Amino acid sequence: MLKPLAPRHSVRIRHRIGPLQLDVDFELKQRWTILFGPSGSGKTTILRAIAGLLKPDHARIVSTVCPGTDQERRFTFVDTDAGIFLPARRRVVRIAPQQPALFPNMSVLENMKYGMGLFVRDATEEEARDRGIGELLARFHIAHLAEKDPNGLSGGEAQRVNLARAVASGGRLLMLDEPFSGLDMNLKDDFIASLLQRQADPRNGQLLSVTHDVAEAFQLSAEVIKIADGKVVAQGPAEVVLAEERARLLKQLQP
Amino acid sequence: MDTQALWLTLRLALTTTALLLAVALPVAWWIASGAGAARALVQAIVALPLVLPPTVLGFYLLVALGPLTAPGRLIIRALGHPLAFSFSGLVVGSVLYSLPFAVQPLVAGFRAVDPALLEVAATLGASPLRAFRTITLPLAKPSVVTAAVLSFTHTVGEFGVVLMIGGNIPGATRTLSIALYDQVQDFNYAAANRTAGVLLAFSLLTLVAIYWRGSARRSLLG
Repeated sequence: MLKPLAPRHSVRIRHRIGPLQLDVDFELKQRWTILFGPSGSGKTTILRAIAGLLKPDHARIVSTVCPGTDQERRFTFVDTDAGIFLPARRRVVRIAPQQPALFPNMSVLENMKYGMGLFVRDATEEEARDRGIGELLARFHIAHLAEKDPNGLSGGEAQRVNLARAVASGGRLLMLDEPFSGLDMNLKDDFIASLLQRQADPRNGQLLSVTHDVAEAFQLSAEVIKIADGKVVAQGPAEVVLAEERARLLKQLQP
Repeated sequence: MDTQALWLTLRLALTTTALLLAVALPVAWWIASGAGAARALVQAIVALPLVLPPTVLGFYLLVALGPLTAPGRLIIRALGHPLAFSFSGLVVGSVLYSLPFAVQPLVAGFRAVDPALLEVAATLGASPLRAFRTITLPLAKPSVVTAAVLSFTHTVGEFGVVLMIGGNIPGATRTLSIALYDQVQDFNYAAANRTAGVLLAFSLLTLVAIYWRGSARRSLLG
């Protein structure tokens, strides 16, 4: 059996949003990549462009499945030069927006199933799906909320369901926008551990998350892409890319 | 009390409401799902019956459905009789006349659905139709109810269009509002009083029912 290989994504976007000129070009090389930068630097816009929720002025975004093998297949999400724009629903990319957008007319469980229901073909698959959902509910500490209506959830609970829903349906690329804001410390550590465990399996696709929190970036042991004013200023391990921010943070912590 | 006219009126209002929802749902969805000149034009055309005298609409329909125009001649040839002065003609007129009352609440209701929900649905693989069916439509349910009730009551209350296109044929085109007009013309004020009372009570009760549903009120105003 072939060793499963994670898909790879290359991203080039030029897009104008108000005063900000976004101009980035990078490749997601690792299992987990972090977009790091201050608010207003264009991080969310990058996620939205990759997911297909906005049409960039100029872009080329390509997803490569099984790279480097004879089964390699390329999916062009956007290529403005060639006039290609794949609609969001065909990209197999999941996104958990910063503001949880839970479907208010469905229970937490139905929300989780929304992106996966179509792939069930028989009873065995259904059983596997239900087992997977059960595990996720437990991992995100939301099992007791499964039958609840999203309107009755607290902010932290809604955020957990938001993340669990994006994780539940898999995909080539999972994108989490400020996923841990609004979660308390213990839960946050739990999630990071389970997401790291998830990312250890290449079948689970790549993960791209957004943060402006230095400590978080270090904790995730992921590759960091540092964004400032709509440009990539550095890409590499957190220790190298965020050395300056780390020093500043440590200085602040000194008594 | 002219019970034949009462039944005819209810049959007309029910048929019109069912057809209107079938037409208005896709139209409202299309209008609500974007912006631009084409949508503005369609919305304006849909809203026309709100400002036009019903007799103007009735007159154009009478001409359009009659032997003077090509579509009218086609209908006459297909059916063997003109649409005007028949129940079917009345239905066509009523659908057009009440179109804004079905479309406007639906557009308002669809527009009130948070676009972020539809974006997430798309990234979870949902087609626009599935997102509409599973998210937009259930969330806009109060607006659908409002649209149906308004279409029904507005059809019950129409007069000008019916008079122009339907005339006054008992059992075919003679609705309650026409019967009332007749009764007054005949100085039969006692009968007219009963007919008017039925129409007034019905309209008032329906409006109370709509306003009672607090959530439906927003879409009414939208």
